[in-house]
Amino acid sequence: MALEDYQGDMGMCCRCSACKFIPMQKVKGAAFSYVCPSISRYNFHAYSGGGRLNIAASMLKNGFNYTDKLLDIVYNCQMCGACGVSCNYAMDMEVLEPISEFRLKCVEDGKTNPALDKVIAGLRKQGSMVPAKGKRGDWAAGLNLKDATKEKVDVLYHVGCLTSYDKDMQKLAKATVKILQKAGVNFGIAGNAESCCGGRAYQMGYKEDFLNQAKKNMAMIKKAGVKTLVTACADGYQAFKVLYDRYDLKGDLEVLHISEYIYKLIKDGKLKPRRKVNISVTYHDPCRLGRLGEPWIHWKGKKVPGDRFVFDPPKEYRRGTKGVYEPPRDVLKGIPGLKLTEMTRIKEYSWCCGAGGGVNESNPAFAKWTAQDRVKEAESTGAEAIVTACPWCEKTFNEAIKESGSSLKVYDIVELVEKAI
Amino acid sequence: MALSKEVYKEFEDVVGEENICADPAIMPAYFSVEFAAVILPKDTAEVQAIVKLCNKHKLQFRAICTGWTGGFPKDIILLDLRRMNHIIEINEKNMYAVVEPYVISAELQAELFKRGLNFCIKGAGTNCTAMLRGHGHMDQTTSGDDRNHLAIEWITPEGDIVRSGSLGSSDEWFCGDGPGPSIRSILTSAVPPGVTPGVFTKAAIKLYHWPGPASYPIEGLSPKYTLREIPPNMMARYYSFPSVEKMWQAELNIGESEIAFELMGFNVAMVACNITTCNEEEEGVFKRLNSEIQGPGFFIIIAGNSAEDFAYKKRVLDKIISDADGKSLKSVEDPEIEGILLCQCTRISASIRETFRAGGAFNSIPIMGQRDLTIKWAIGAGKAKEPLIEKGLIVDDGGAFFGWGVEQGHLGKTEIFCKFDPSNPQAKKAVEDWQKEQSDRAFKERYFANLHMAKPDEVSKDLSNYYVWWQKLTKALDPNGVSPEAGALV
Repeated sequence: MALEDYQGDMGMCCRCSACKFIPMQKVKGAAFSYVCPSISRYNFHAYSGGGRLNIAASMLKNGFNYTDKLLDIVYNCQMCGACGVSCNYAMDMEVLEPISEFRLKCVEDGKTNPALDKVIAGLRKQGSMVPAKGKRGDWAAGLNLKDATKEKVDVLYHVGCLTSYDKDMQKLAKATVKILQKAGVNFGIAGNAESCCGGRAYQMGYKEDFLNQAKKNMAMIKKAGVKTLVTACADGYQAFKVLYDRYDLKGDLEVLHISEYIYKLIKDGKLKPRRKVNISVTYHDPCRLGRLGEPWIHWKGKKVPGDRFVFDPPKEYRRGTKGVYEPPRDVLKGIPGLKLTEMTRIKEYSWCCGAGGGVNESNPAFAKWTAQDRVKEAESTGAEAIVTACPWCEKTFNEAIKESGSSLKVYDIVELVEKAI
Repeated sequence: MALSKEVYKEFEDVVGEENICADPAIMPAYFSVEFAAVILPKDTAEVQAIVKLCNKHKLQFRAICTGWTGGFPKDIILLDLRRMNHIIEINEKNMYAVVEPYVISAELQAELFKRGLNFCIKGAGTNCTAMLRGHGHMDQTTSGDDRNHLAIEWITPEGDIVRSGSLGSSDEWFCGDGPGPSIRSILTSAVPPGVTPGVFTKAAIKLYHWPGPASYPIEGLSPKYTLREIPPNMMARYYSFPSVEKMWQAELNIGESEIAFELMGFNVAMVACNITTCNEEEEGVFKRLNSEIQGPGFFIIIAGNSAEDFAYKKRVLDKIISDADGKSLKSVEDPEIEGILLCQCTRISASIRETFRAGGAFNSIPIMGQRDLTIKWAIGAGKAKEPLIEKGLIVDDGGAFFGWGVEQGHLGKTEIFCKFDPSNPQAKKAVEDWQKEQSDRAFKERYFANLHMAKPDEVSKDLSNYYVWWQKLTKALDPNGVSPEAGALV
């Protein structure tokens, strides 16, 4: 769908400001009541979900007048979707979709962000969203893993760009491998044949690059006869599960996040976290595993003429309700000695880590600012560590902590499970 | 009108480069008006400096809080008060809270609940500024309108700082009328423009006792939050009655016996909006609820300070309902539905469901006065909605109205609105005509309706020539004409 197709939705914005805050019933006080990093940091209403819709609607009507400020607004958004969840508590309308379409249009019109252009140039050249030093599969050297493109496996472990290439993140891949091996899973990796999922390119507005990556990946997956894909990256999860499905590219591929898969392995008795991990933690829901990890709903219809904003056939909105929220919590709760305390902003109205939507690359200071707010919230629970389920979150939290001097530790869920098995 | 570089620089020097913008890109985000600039002051001193600059350069300005509504002339300076979002003080002993304009009601109320306190949240919803003056669901226990504003810090249209009430003679915020200057009639006037010229930078809000929990035991995911359990000594019900007269009698008796925490004269269409999560579901639930009621009704919350107090209040309620032949709506007795309504109607978190969700817009006529008389007027306004419903121009709510009594229930607010699709010009025109006709009828029948629908000269003579006096006052307060009349500050 194009921006034009969301004209009715944009017209529904009543400018109530709900998109700036967590759902009203969940507001627990003056602290941590905001949900949108962009409006919280930049303050002008234009940086809110509703403000973005109003601008897009106005430009559709009066013509697209690109200014530096407009592009600043467009690219200083993590596309985290929190605005939509809060809005959709009360309203039936799309929020993130038109915001995303507006960004896609900017890129189509050549109004790009230079930092993001650079990232995409890297993607086109190296198939990676992070600078590729060495080969993609180097991290697995000596682990003797199956090559899923050549050998028959039950599960393809898609590692992702950051985990593959970033030396600080490769520990997550190794932990994941250890968990899968311990559970006796017949799995493999694609090694050097693995390529970027394209999800982050889509968030940045580069739809064609996303589609190229998606087609390339699905061709490899089909050829290898893979039926189940497991990833430990929330961006990868959303790309394979939601975005590929949206563009009718997913087919029958089963896509699971590692937290879901570990939960299943524990439930099936294949994995037993027995060792004590004495630590108090709080869990951060990555946006693209939580609210944006909700399955895509294929729908096509028309507004029913008349007084109400209703459609034929009826439209079911993705309100963030069906994201992956319980499996990671259940896994953590199952680790002996681990104490889990919740933050104020959780699950569908979780605060973003700051890394999404290309902000990590185009405005690292804003990404860090966003992460610092989350670190403060995690600290307020009294937990020793914040646990996430995405390497991008872990990286951003670590950068924020390094700058602020906080003593909070950061773990990915696989690191704690690895300690427990 | 673009600001000259020099003038822009003067404003920029006050707030810093990051907090002023004149780029046309941001304007549509606010309203469909081109502003000369949008400025984000961080405190009273910056607001004062901006207002003084506006006077120096004869530039009109308006301030907004969350900015839900408002009227804005072209080319004005818009003060977006978003950075002024601090709760300055919660004084439990003297039962007031001092807030800046961008503290929303949800934030303040959550802090108050932890302390066993509450305040009047306006019907517009908890997403609006806590400073907003008006009426709300909890008027029976928190009163309404200007009674809840105590001392106020006000930047006059000329840029002076005026501290009203007790704040004028001390550092205390406990009273709006003294010892110190009481200018309540100006600061919290109910006459047009409905909002005082200049800018409120801080206000003390009166607090009330909260008998409920420190926080609600909410579970589930948006858009369906439910309560794990109904908090002790709390109950929500909806009662319908065989006639308006019987409903009014019950309302009055409840008010006089002081047993209700909240008495909200919802119609079942509004109940349906509250308890459903989408438009399609709402249509079906409304039809079902409408078939279950015997006539007009209201929603009530009883909250006891102890089990004994709760039992007493329930007994009194039962007697009043029985005497008026009232009937409880079974759907609301379902603990899940009861919990949803308890939470939403005390946290005032579903007003948008009631108003905007259906079609995207609503136009309303609020009437203040003696409840039984205003209800009679509203029945006529409801009848006038029926042809619009039949033509499919507005949402079918059965032609219903709503409202609530303030304090003991004799006086109150009655309101009626039409929900429609604003992109349908025929619907928009029909609703505007209805609003105009019914407001005119209200004035003719001597009801105090929303004055923005009236021609000031026509109604002013019947209201002590208020408009003449108001014009004189604003001229004295705003000799440079920089603070234009406009809609309410929300």
